[in-house]
Amino acid sequence: MEGRPLDEQELVEQARGGDARAYEVLVRRYQDLAFRTAWVIAGGADAEDAAQEGFVKAWYALPRFRAGSPFRPWLLAIVANEARNRRRSGRRQDDLALRVAEDRPSGDAAPSPEAAALDSEQRRLLLAAVGRLGDSDRQVITCRYFLELSEAEMAAALGCRRGTVKSRLSRALERLRAALAEQDAAAAAATKLPGGER
Amino acid sequence: MSQRELADIERALTDLAASLELPPTPDLAAAVSARLERAPAPARPAAGRRRWAWRWLGGLGGWRRLAVAGLAVLLLAAAVLVASPPTREAVARRLGLRGIGVELGGPPPPTATTTPGGRLDLGLGRRVSLEEARRRVSFPVLLPGTAGLGQPDAVFVSEVVPPGGRVDLVWRARPGLPASPFTDAGLLLTEFKGQPTPEFIKKVAVAGQVEFVEVGGEPAYFFSGEPHFFTYLDSAGNFREEQTRLAGNTLIWQRGDLTLRLEAQISKEEALRIAESMR
Repeated sequence: MEGRPLDEQELVEQARGGDARAYEVLVRRYQDLAFRTAWVIAGGADAEDAAQEGFVKAWYALPRFRAGSPFRPWLLAIVANEARNRRRSGRRQDDLALRVAEDRPSGDAAPSPEAAALDSEQRRLLLAAVGRLGDSDRQVITCRYFLELSEAEMAAALGCRRGTVKSRLSRALERLRAALAEQDAAAAAATKLPGGER
Repeated sequence: MSQRELADIERALTDLAASLELPPTPDLAAAVSARLERAPAPARPAAGRRRWAWRWLGGLGGWRRLAVAGLAVLLLAAAVLVASPPTREAVARRLGLRGIGVELGGPPPPTATTTPGGRLDLGLGRRVSLEEARRRVSFPVLLPGTAGLGQPDAVFVSEVVPPGGRVDLVWRARPGLPASPFTDAGLLLTEFKGQPTPEFIKKVAVAGQVEFVEVGGEPAYFFSGEPHFFTYLDSAGNFREEQTRLAGNTLIWQRGDLTLRLEAQISKEEALRIAESMR
């Protein structure tokens, strides 16, 4: 996106002028982003509906879009709002079950804690730990690391002020760290058992 | 210590992100476009629109400017068609059918021509002989070898759009080839240089049904149901959009750099038979 800011601005302006085709290009460009964000917030069952409704509402809201301001956070705020409205209260998002692609067979040498690359078992454990976090923590971590949203986009998606994104993220990371420590302790205990490789 | 661990966790999360399988995104663009097409356009500030339109037009090259101007005419026509039935009749007569066939930069499209046997002019361009059409376009014009069809009853050529030209071959309705509700044409075959874009399938799939078939071993698409839009990339790399003319079923396929389109109220099997027989 960084390479083509003018392009986006042009498209947005054309869409603001009522050009539905320009808008379609924008939708196509950001549908992954919008759908995934909706999916993080509302869960799998409602994400498509929320994202679609968000795009339609954004079209009608375009005359109120401030020319020259970034489009993505503006769009995400609308989509995320739709997603939150659809979110069924009290439901655990079990369908956040992301899958870890099976690749990189773990070698014989155990990776050191400093190694950047995790083996697939470690990835699964980490993902499981993220999935067990509370909604707020899980959403902020998912938006930041899995969807790679910017701070402004995270604020829009999570419905909070930009200034609170950072603190929210660091609190979530702290809780993830604690969860991982527990997991590690449990795993260490398991490996001490005979035949610990399961 | 705590800081260090957090950095590890962040690194691990980044690493995890690279191997995550995110859920596949549904085709929102097509769904959204379909909804916007059905819905009225929102009120826009007129002055702003004009200003931007001009600025945008000014930034475009000659070819694209023409294309945009043409598109504007099409949209205007489409708007009128939607607007009021009496006007719709008038515009449909003037432009051919459904506002399609406006030739960019060319002479205004002729009014529906009454030929012996009925209206065959779909606003497709200049009516010429088959021989002249062959001279005017940059590709060999193919004809169906299907028994009983014979030579087309009318041939139209457009040399301006798309680049390389376009030929439309029209066969009059006959037994086994029902007339379109709009004209006396039963079969329309269009040939031009260009490639169907992957996106057009998604777009039309909203309004009708699309089936993936093969013609001559190449992928082809068979559309049935509601009239659809058809988007393609012409040989100059411009996006173009068209709509069906006969409101029939449509088969679109590719042969080399040529795109062929068949429209008729016939079954998929019959359409495929005609397509396979093109020589």
